[in-house]
Order: sequence, then structure tokens, then C-alpha cells
Amino acid sequence: MKKSLFYSLSAIFFLLPGVLLMLKSVTPVWKWGEAFSFTFTLRGWETFLMDDRIFHALFLSILIALAATFINLAIGMISGKALSHQNFKGKSLIETLLLLPLFLPVMAAALGLHITMIRLGLANTWFGVVLVHLVPTVPYTIKVMKAGYDRLGGGMLEQAQMLGAKPLYIFRTVELPLLMPSIRSAVFLTVTISMSQYVLTAVIGGGSVITLPIIYYPFLQSVDDTVMAAFSTAFALLPIIAVGAVEIVSKLIRANGLVLNRGVK
Amino acid sequence: MEVMKYMKKKLILFSSLVVLSGCAAGSSQPSSNEDVKDQSWDSIKEKAEGETVSLYMWGGDDGINQYIDDWVKPQLLDAYGVRLERIPLDTNEILQKLETEKRAGQDDGTIDMIWMNGENFKRAKESDLLFGPFVEQLPNYNAYYDADSLDFKYDFGTETEGYEAPWGKVQFVFHYDSAKISEPPATLEELQQWTEDNPGKFTYPAAGDFTGDAFLRHVLYGTTSAETLFTEPFSMELADKESAGVWSYLKDIEPNLWRKGDTYPSSLTELDRLYSQGEVWMTMGYNEARGEVLVKDGVFPESTKSFVLEEPGSIGNTHFLSIPYNSPNKEAALTAIDLLLSPEAQLAKLEPDYWGENTPIDVSKLEEEDRQAFEAVDRGDTVLDQESLMDAFVPEIDAEYVPWLQEKWIDEVASQ
Repeated sequence: MKKSLFYSLSAIFFLLPGVLLMLKSVTPVWKWGEAFSFTFTLRGWETFLMDDRIFHALFLSILIALAATFINLAIGMISGKALSHQNFKGKSLIETLLLLPLFLPVMAAALGLHITMIRLGLANTWFGVVLVHLVPTVPYTIKVMKAGYDRLGGGMLEQAQMLGAKPLYIFRTVELPLLMPSIRSAVFLTVTISMSQYVLTAVIGGGSVITLPIIYYPFLQSVDDTVMAAFSTAFALLPIIAVGAVEIVSKLIRANGLVLNRGVK
Repeated sequence: MEVMKYMKKKLILFSSLVVLSGCAAGSSQPSSNEDVKDQSWDSIKEKAEGETVSLYMWGGDDGINQYIDDWVKPQLLDAYGVRLERIPLDTNEILQKLETEKRAGQDDGTIDMIWMNGENFKRAKESDLLFGPFVEQLPNYNAYYDADSLDFKYDFGTETEGYEAPWGKVQFVFHYDSAKISEPPATLEELQQWTEDNPGKFTYPAAGDFTGDAFLRHVLYGTTSAETLFTEPFSMELADKESAGVWSYLKDIEPNLWRKGDTYPSSLTELDRLYSQGEVWMTMGYNEARGEVLVKDGVFPESTKSFVLEEPGSIGNTHFLSIPYNSPNKEAALTAIDLLLSPEAQLAKLEPDYWGENTPIDVSKLEEEDRQAFEAVDRGDTVLDQESLMDAFVPEIDAEYVPWLQEKWIDEVASQ
């Protein structure tokens, strides 16, 4: 009973909008009160593919999101662990400070960072865009990883240490496998946030870095629902592709024995 | 061991990322402003050949994008050997980027041309972001454009002084469904009468939206008698004194608007959607030909037609192309702008297949053959004929009225 409720609710709230969106992207604009008719049209998708840079933009968006994710995980795990397992003076102050970028208006961050990026020679490069995408993502990753380490607790790591394991061995046999759920959430958050950045990408990338939002956002000002639905469908698929890529990589690493999975999924 | 190897790999990957991204930055040396200004057209052409220029412009219309990608790009390569890249970016972000580059002292930028007008031009010119004056170096500008025209000399009240070249011209029109309305209103009074007869079938985008602001300026035109409002620069006292009619007109029509004026569409997109769904019977926009493609794509009803208010008229403006101060290829940018201003390019832009937009060219200066070609273009059923548009034409007013009207609208209309 409970299970069927769960499935029907998820179908209504998650599956149905997606299906409707896809339907909308291949049918003409429907007017209220008009009889249902399914005239098939590829106009929306043709507009989507019209810009010959679209595949390059797709690729670049994924690359930037994955690079940002990688740096995020590195920063997030180190600071998450420190915040969770260590006690030091001013810890709660630092924790708050690390969250502050989320409350800063994006435009303010972008302008300040732009000058720095110009001086570093990173403005108008895709790596500069990766770095600037850390601003809205790192605070979340730190939060997520801290919660992960909180759940893990210190005991498990101390136990391994007492048995004589080296830190790296502990990392890949205990920490990584047990933190997988947190890593998954962090990856999904980071990828989704990174892929929907328009202002930050526009200012730091300066038009030399053309990601999907740069092509896609101006079309949001259109009344043509068919075109919008096509763009939105493509846009919704992206994080799924990127998260899939991360899953495959983690499978490969496990298969190579770099991370030992002791009965934990 | 394996782990160490793995970590090393990571490190190598990371450092190669840094190196790679460094290589992607631009490398060509910009010419200084003085160099370019003194050159003859022939030497400009020579220097331009083989270069690539970037045109930064708003990218939300596939007709416009196609015009650049499918028509302009091959023509420019053919005529001058210059490659064109179209970069879709909002004008606000473009200027933001330039302002920061200026502050950071970066003299080799990435932008060669910007499409802009009005407030944006004012902002760019006041912060010295533009290269110029350059328009008089363009052969096509000198041959086919009326350099004395007030439309080109002033851009929303800001003197252009040769810092931008006129690229296109649009006029404000209303679109209506001719299946529901047989005789569209011709004056503001008739519009008011019409809303009383058809309550809930008209509304306009809220102030702050580009089109909503333009509608307010029409009302300002129609309700003020003082000529000085449009000929003199903006003054708060004068505006306050003369604008009472605007707010009383807007308050008078409010109860008969869509949802009794409790709420306004926040953007033109929303108003267009209401119109396409038949909730309201009129929409409007700052481009006399924009209905054509929306009807063709089945968004607007087939019976869509357009009209202008004969009284107070229809505000029109010109939009321009300019070159930033740190453009890396100023010579190539000049050739590209010259091509975009040529009669052939303007004719292709006027045809409804791509963009369908009006031309700022002086048709009387054209060769007989070209002139006929311009006059023969069928812009489509939703577009008014040139004569009605010209008769109703009134110029834009000082750009400083825009923020003032927005603020006042919120006090006087929205929060009442």
C-alpha cells in the first residue's frame, strides 16, 4: 500500500512533468480551449541544433562541471573532515564564514573576481570559469561532506589506525566507501549548480567560453513554448549524463582495486 | 604504490589543466586608436584580411542568429577575407566585462563589435569604453546614409559623435487579433474607450520591462502638451510638473485591464503568452515586424494584424554597432561593420526570411535598381506599410526618463 503510494506520487511529481516537457518539445504551441491534437513537429529541436556550437557547448559544460566537481570534492572532504572530527577555537565562526559566499549577490562576486582573474590571466579561459563556479558550490559541498563525516564518526577511523593502517589505506578502504552517499549528493549538487550558471560564466568566460546556458538563456525570453521545451529537455538531461559519468568513473576505480569495498554499497 | 600512482596522475591532470587554460587566452596585438583612425580604407582592408572578429550580441532570436550565421558570415569572408564569430551575450554583461577590463587596465580584449543603443550606449560612452569616432571611415556609411539625420546623431538623447554606426531601425506597434477586433483604436482616447467596451482584454507589461517602459513613453507623449519635455534634456521638476496626465490616464484605464489591473505581466513574454492564449486581444512590441515569424510558427493566431496610434504616434529608434576601446582587430571590425551597413546586407535583413527588420539606409541615395529591390520587399501581412509607419513616427526621448518613469509608475500605479 505504502509502496504504491510512493510510486504513484513520484510518477505524478517527477515523471509526468518530464514526459509533458518532452511532448511539448515536439508539438506546436497549444492554445487553451483548443481540441487536443498531436501534430508532430521538429521545429523546437531544429532551433536547438541550429547553432553549430551546441555540441561543443554541451561538451564544455560537462567538462567545466566535472572539473568543478573534482576540486569541490577535494576541498569539501578535507574541510568537512576537519570541521567534523577536530575541535579548535573559532570553529563555528569558520563554519559560518565558509557558508557566506551563498549569501553574497552573484554579481558582486563576479565583478570582484573578474579583476583578479584578469590579473592572473585566467579571465576568458575555461579554467577561470571552473574556479569561479566554486563560489556557489563549495559551501554546499563542505556542508554535505561535514554531515557525511559526522555520520561516519571518529571511532571507525581510530579503529583502523589502531590496527596499523596508513592514512591513505584508511582513506580508500574506510572513508571513501562509507562516504559514497555524501559524495553522490555533493556531485549531483555541484554539477547541477555549475551547469546553470549564466552570469558567472558570462562575466568570467567573457564570451570566449560558450557553455550551454550562454546559448540557452537568451531563448528564455521567447514566447515559443516548443523551442523552450526542447532547450529545457536537453538542459535537464545534462546533469544526469554528468552524474552517470561520475558513477562510471567510481565503478572503474573500484574495479581496479583502488578503493576496496568491504560489503558497503 | 597503486595509490601513489593514482595520486600522481591526478596531480599531472590538474597541472595540465592549468597550462591548457593559459594557452586559450587571446594573443593578437591590438592596434592603437590613432593608427586605425589615420589609415586609408585600402590599408584597413589589407590589415583586416585573414583576421577573425567577434560580434557580441543578444542571442535570443533564431531569425537574427540565422541572418548572421547563414548570410553575413559567408559574405564577409568572401568580400574581405574576414571571419566572423557571433557571441551570444546580454548587453549588460558585455558592458560589465568591458568596465572591469578598463579598470584592470587590460588593453587587449576579446570583443570587436557590440550591438547596442540607448541607455547602454550612454553608459559605454560615459565610461570611455568605445573606440572612435569611426563612422566616417566607412565607405557604405558615407555613400548611403544621411549623416545629418537626427536619428543617427542622437541615440535616446545621447550624442553619438561617430562612436556607433546605425545598423537597424524599429518602430513600436501594437498587434491585435483581427478576428476579434474589426477596428483597432487610433488614439489614446479610443484605446481607453476600447478597454471600457472590452474589459479585461488589454494590458501592458509592467514598468521595468523594455516594452512596458516604451508603452509608458507613448502615454507620456500623448498626455503632455509641453514640447520642451522632448526637446530639452531631462529635468526632474519639469517631468514632475508635466506628467500628472500620464498617471491619471493609467489609473483611469486600470479597472478595465486584464485582471482589473491588480497585476501586470512582468515581461513582454508574459503578455505575448496571454495574447497567444486568447486571454487578451492585443499585444505590443518595439519591432514592427516581430509578429510575422510568431504567426508563421503558430504562436500567434493567423488573424494577427498590427496598428499604430496615430495620436500620439509610434516611437521609433535606431540601433547601432560600436567597437570597444580594446578590440583586438579594429580594422577587421571596421570592414565587418561596413559590410553590415551595405545595401545588400540591409536588403537581406529586411526580407522576412531571416529577420525582417527595417533599414536605416537612405533609400533615395541608392541606385535605381537597389531602390526598387528595397521597395519590392513584401514584409508580410502583419507588418504595416511604410507610409503608415512613417506618418506615425516620433523620436525617442531622453534616456533619463526611463528610470524616472519606472519609479513613478510603481508609486502611482502599481502600489495604489
